[in-house]
Amino acid sequence: MEPIPINAIPEPWKYNPSKWSQRLTIVLVASIATLIAIYMGLYQWRLIDTVWDPIFQDQSMKVLDSDVSHQITSWIHIPDSILGALAYLGDVIFALAGSTRRWYDRPWLVILFGLDVIPLGIVSATLIFLQGTVVGSWCFLCLVTGVISLLLILFAYDEVWSSCIFLRRVWKRSGQFSVFWNTFWGRPSLIAQEVASEMAQKRNKKVNTNVGPRY
Amino acid sequence: MWARVIEFMLACWLAISPFIFAYPDDATLFWVSDFGCSVAIAFFAFISFYDPLKKMHLCNLLAAFYLIALGFCAKESFLHYALQNYIVLGILLLMLAIIPTDASQQPKPWRDFYQGTDH
Repeated sequence: MEPIPINAIPEPWKYNPSKWSQRLTIVLVASIATLIAIYMGLYQWRLIDTVWDPIFQDQSMKVLDSDVSHQITSWIHIPDSILGALAYLGDVIFALAGSTRRWYDRPWLVILFGLDVIPLGIVSATLIFLQGTVVGSWCFLCLVTGVISLLLILFAYDEVWSSCIFLRRVWKRSGQFSVFWNTFWGRPSLIAQEVASEMAQKRNKKVNTNVGPRY
Repeated sequence: MWARVIEFMLACWLAISPFIFAYPDDATLFWVSDFGCSVAIAFFAFISFYDPLKKMHLCNLLAAFYLIALGFCAKESFLHYALQNYIVLGILLLMLAIIPTDASQQPKPWRDFYQGTDH
């Protein structure tokens, strides 16, 4: 049995969602968000006196010093901006780990990455965009990180979707939880190999027919 | 491999934390805890480079949970920022400790699987 090519294109995409160029884009964007969140965290730690905001000026500091922010900080014991920075850093770490075949050989990593990017991203972006109504002030850098969260979802969902399709097909074909469970944790089986191979071949055939000569 | 290197760097940071956050001399338990924990993190990161023990980095999950629990449970007000340091370090370690040592390659079971099916 031949190994699946290193840059095999899985269904339903026309590109490999686990390819390095896409994941490094995520790393770059998430790193920017991490730095912004750390900058706001430095203010909440009072290591800097003010927060730069070209649009809303003082409102940024009102948001970072708001009762809501203090309440969250009292729950998590660290400033909420620092928790955000850790979440974005998690995106960086999980985007860097794994090969270009991780959509089928390490599904657990892709799903974990997806959990860090998608639900957490939606929650944080929603909270950030609601700040105007809840706190009554707006924070430019918080809004930037909110937009970045949504961008990250856009960049990451395709890989997660391919892994989900792969796992679902392994589950349906085997009908056994143990096979599904082993596949999820990156343990191979003939069924997992077959499903991954079919997903890659179907896609490659489609791509080939799309780019082939037309008579 | 890079995850283990970062774990080692975090262990170094934890080892010098008592000096950075100026722990009082009578906080002996925290001095010992930080030093012991940093040695354990560095040890588990280091031995993961040896192939038969490459999953030992998972032991750093225990260190991560310990640091987070310490940060949440300890009530010493004079260590306010040091306790936050524990939580941040713990969460970072939690994310890093689950990254496989050979994360950039295909997992070994898959490599073995392909070799096995070739014969």
